[in-house]
Amino acid sequence: MRLPPFQYLEPENITEALSMMDTYKDTVKIIAGGTEVINHMKHRLLSPAFVMNIAKLGDLGGISVLDHEIVLGASTTLKEIANSPVIKEKCKAIAEAAFQVASPTIAAMGTIGGNILQNTRCMTYNQSEIVLTGLDSCHKRGGTICLAVKGSTRCFSVYQGDMAPALIAFDAQCILRKSGATRTIPIIDLFTGNGVQPFSIGSDEILTGIIIPKQDGTSGSAYKKLRIRGSIDFPLVSAASVIWVGADGKITSSRMVIGAAGPAPRMVEEASLAIQGQLPGEIDLEALAGMAYGLTEGADNLAMPGAYRRKMARVLLKRAVQEALEDVKRGI
Amino acid sequence: MKKIKGYSITLTVNNENYDLTAEPNRTLLEVLRDDLHLTGTKESCGEGACGSCTVLVDDQPVRSCLTLAVAVEGRHITTIEGLSQGGALHPVQDAFVAHHAIQCGFCSPGMILTAYALLKENPSPTEEEIRRAISGNVCRCTGYAKIVEAIKSLADQGRQER
Repeated sequence: MRLPPFQYLEPENITEALSMMDTYKDTVKIIAGGTEVINHMKHRLLSPAFVMNIAKLGDLGGISVLDHEIVLGASTTLKEIANSPVIKEKCKAIAEAAFQVASPTIAAMGTIGGNILQNTRCMTYNQSEIVLTGLDSCHKRGGTICLAVKGSTRCFSVYQGDMAPALIAFDAQCILRKSGATRTIPIIDLFTGNGVQPFSIGSDEILTGIIIPKQDGTSGSAYKKLRIRGSIDFPLVSAASVIWVGADGKITSSRMVIGAAGPAPRMVEEASLAIQGQLPGEIDLEALAGMAYGLTEGADNLAMPGAYRRKMARVLLKRAVQEALEDVKRGI
Repeated sequence: MKKIKGYSITLTVNNENYDLTAEPNRTLLEVLRDDLHLTGTKESCGEGACGSCTVLVDDQPVRSCLTLAVAVEGRHITTIEGLSQGGALHPVQDAFVAHHAIQCGFCSPGMILTAYALLKENPSPTEEEIRRAISGNVCRCTGYAKIVEAIKSLADQGRQER
């Protein structure tokens, strides 16, 4: 498969990169690892006029451990995150999510920024050019129909990133920069919930880093993922959980997130409220699992039936919570 | 401010410098095979799933089908042709031959380079670590057992380096 023609940009520093974004806006696509964008370009799902490579910008890479937070540069590879002792110790679910992205070689190429900003996917959209020419244009391709859910007035494509659910569980923020301005927003707010335009990032902005706040107290976390081939596939559904307990052993706070459940990761807020103040042994796991089920879309648009993926959301959330609680017990 | 990289690039492949012209939309795989005639690197899925096109960039395995040639200028690229020295097979290649870890051979270049990179990073990997490292390289012939045995023999002997 050949790539479509484009002009290649290679800024030497972040200021130059931001200036290029300001100039080219929607006509430029950013690559760092290239594992997402290059693929989409091969399938002609993307044909940008410009491709900007930010992999060589030294100020966007690396893991910084600060007093009150851990900062991940957007170009930090998933392999670095999966192998980082501090991430494994302080934010195990994030390391587990990075470890489970695709295959080791892809994880060594792919970056956290690219993983977060990966496009939503659907079996009727992620096809080769020749297949797509034989299909009517769906919402995601500028049309007015949904090929996955007949009669739907909206896009049912699925966000299948591994990192975002785990990062959201840790209440992580992302740093978005453009020429002359920087804003920091919770990662959950990066998502629009609209499969056609899944992200709220501006066309002149670059995701430059992720901030994971440090939390007080004892915590446990886990990330669980369903996929067919353990060596390569995107999650068909996933669950991340983080649970903190106080000195009295009671749960002080928790965050649970379901991934690949719709066009954006979904926080199971009802579950967090339900277990607040409880002892780990008092938790009604079946009730929490039911909440995850209720939040998961069951469209038949990925490699496994939607009904099965919904059922597995129950199972994975339960497993993620159980494992987080086991971590908590070890920590106490 | 407009900074568009020219199309003349110098690639360092197997310790040789090559001056060539490459449009930005050409992948490293295309340049290696079509321009440098290093056809040991194979194309299969073309989308990063199978690992046939694996080469080393600064000793890290990468998918050359997903790598732009212009993006790896100045880096050290190693293909399967660069592993043997003076006509003698590298120990990783020797081990693959000795353990019958090759059948059709299409996955072998990528598989061997992935194994080489693993052993360089971790000279004594466990079987689990070996299986994990090659999990992104698809082989449709061997069933993987012989490949794992070949890599394991080097891990046991700790002699992957010349």
